[in-house]
Amino acid sequence: MTELLPQLTQQLVNGLSLGAIYALIAIGYTMVYGIIGMINFAHGEIYMIGAFVGLITLTALGVQAGYSLPLLLAAALIVSVVVTGLYGWTIERVAYRPLRGGPRLVPLISAIGMSIFLQNYVQIGQGSRDMSVPVLISGALEFQMGSEFTVTIPYSRMIIVGATLLLMVALTLFIARSRMGRACRACAEDMGMANLLGIDTNRVISFTFVLGAMLAAVGGVLIALTIGKLNPYIGFIAGIKAFTAAVLGGIGSIPGAMLGGVLLGMSETFAAGYFPAEYKDVVSFALLILILLFRPTGLLGKPDVEKV
Amino acid sequence: MKFFNHLVTPVFAAITVFSCATLAQAETVKIAIAGPMTGPVAQYGDMVKAGALTAIEQINAAGGAGGNQFEVVLMDDACEPKQAVAVANKIVSQGIKFVIGHVCSGSTIPAADIYENEGIVMITPSATAPQLTQGKSYQFIFRTIGRDDQQGPAAAKYIIEKLKPKKVAVLHDKQSYGQGVASVVKASLDKAKVPVLVFEGIHAGDSDYSAVITKLKAQGVDFVYFGGYHPEMGLLMRQAQEQGVRAVFMGPEGVGNKDITAIAGSASEGMLVTLPADFAADPANAGLLRAFATHRRDPNGPFQMPAYAGVKIIADAIAGARSTDPAKVAAYIHTHTFKTPIGTVAYDARGDLQSFKFVVYTWHKDATKTLAP
Repeated sequence: MTELLPQLTQQLVNGLSLGAIYALIAIGYTMVYGIIGMINFAHGEIYMIGAFVGLITLTALGVQAGYSLPLLLAAALIVSVVVTGLYGWTIERVAYRPLRGGPRLVPLISAIGMSIFLQNYVQIGQGSRDMSVPVLISGALEFQMGSEFTVTIPYSRMIIVGATLLLMVALTLFIARSRMGRACRACAEDMGMANLLGIDTNRVISFTFVLGAMLAAVGGVLIALTIGKLNPYIGFIAGIKAFTAAVLGGIGSIPGAMLGGVLLGMSETFAAGYFPAEYKDVVSFALLILILLFRPTGLLGKPDVEKV
Repeated sequence: MKFFNHLVTPVFAAITVFSCATLAQAETVKIAIAGPMTGPVAQYGDMVKAGALTAIEQINAAGGAGGNQFEVVLMDDACEPKQAVAVANKIVSQGIKFVIGHVCSGSTIPAADIYENEGIVMITPSATAPQLTQGKSYQFIFRTIGRDDQQGPAAAKYIIEKLKPKKVAVLHDKQSYGQGVASVVKASLDKAKVPVLVFEGIHAGDSDYSAVITKLKAQGVDFVYFGGYHPEMGLLMRQAQEQGVRAVFMGPEGVGNKDITAIAGSASEGMLVTLPADFAADPANAGLLRAFATHRRDPNGPFQMPAYAGVKIIADAIAGARSTDPAKVAAYIHTHTFKTPIGTVAYDARGDLQSFKFVVYTWHKDATKTLAP
């Protein structure tokens, strides 16, 4: 087992890029939960729409048309982020705002309905077959480790990790420093009080949905570029995994979602890499149960204090 | 699907009315085409539909099956076992007595039990899992395609005799079809003492298999057999290329369609696949190809001709038995041979084909295939 270390390095790269995507989606779950205490089950579908809009933009511009690659990627990202952000805003207006103040289960059902609707809507519009994205970012950083194992870090996966890191730093700064970020934190702490103090809570909630959708869209475009296979059902599994990541990190906590995402991606990758691959989910969900047994609020979650 | 029904039904209705006037005692025989009309593997449903509809149109135009006109009912099971059961029950309640389908083994197996109990003749043109007929004593269930334990040995024989790989990985998607064929390949390789270092299942529907690829890379695997369908196969090859793994990939006919090239791109060059012999290239079927062409249907897939053959067998059996009673038709199918586009067909007691030939093809990155050397 002289090849242990290089193999470990390779798995680390695999796990980090998978975890980065989970983290990008998990933030949307955790921010919405932090502010209105609701699980937005349609969030996985938002990610799927982000990926599709990215693909449609690439196709419309014509991948072979000779535009420079960075320009194409930027266009796909921007269009997807804007369109998906609009979806996030609309979903909140249509499916959740009218139900606000009702029993907590009602918006949850509405979210599940929205998720089914979006999945079928894309299925009707785009067909249910797999769509594929050509390999745009090829090439990889390769270096020899050990006697015969070459560690390969594809550029596409580097972009995923890099972009996610950048967005995480930006988001953390934004929440900590900006006016809107402060308003978000105030709403998360006590919505009623924030409202009394003159914060437009409806605007903050809309903003949260848009921001979450935008991050998910980035995740969608990045995954479309690396994985290259899309269908209207990818949002379901990704949504479940990202939700798990958010719970793992402590739902409601933004750094928790980041940590949870990376942790889940890593545990899945290592489980598939060192155990028979069919036990991948068993291992990562066993980990989730263990962590929740010892820290019921997740890794970075705060204990739920009953607001009086 | 509704849309399609609206298009097709009036045409058949017109033909039916017309021929009823000429043949006094003719009746309409409903025949269901059941398979994935939607979902990630809908193209297999399209192939079966293309073959079956062409056959039905030709038979109806030529006066029907023993004077009886077929009426098509399309049923969508999305290749999900649960939905397949619902579809089967719907077929029972609508009083349909003949079924072409289902398409995926996973959905065919639970549906077949229902058809057998209700006395409905089912011919699947594509379900290759041995469990469908293994250990059962079905009277109403038939296939017009081989079984995995015919396909697996064909693949294994090629691997052992031609490729002679040093380190092999056998992967599957944990579904009845994929795991079935992968197990047969592994058993044959074990018997021939070809070293299988990895034998594992992966999750169908996942999008990142890089962890498994790294494992193969660490083991120095030079040949990968994957039992499953094209979406997972495509991703495995694409991600293997990404990590610089230069192994030969091989799969069963479930990976052999054009979408694999769309997903895997240049990584699909050199993939090996076992497919039913190319019936569309058979000169005896030239006239048939023209019928496909007039309806703009693609005859070039693994399941079109078997689907056509399935309809033809039902029609011939109805004519031969002079009855539309499914029990008599099934008995007739068991005891007779049929001339079809997939050759002369004869059944054993289980409803499996007495012989079916699989051939190994090399896939190319422009989505064409050539006979493997």
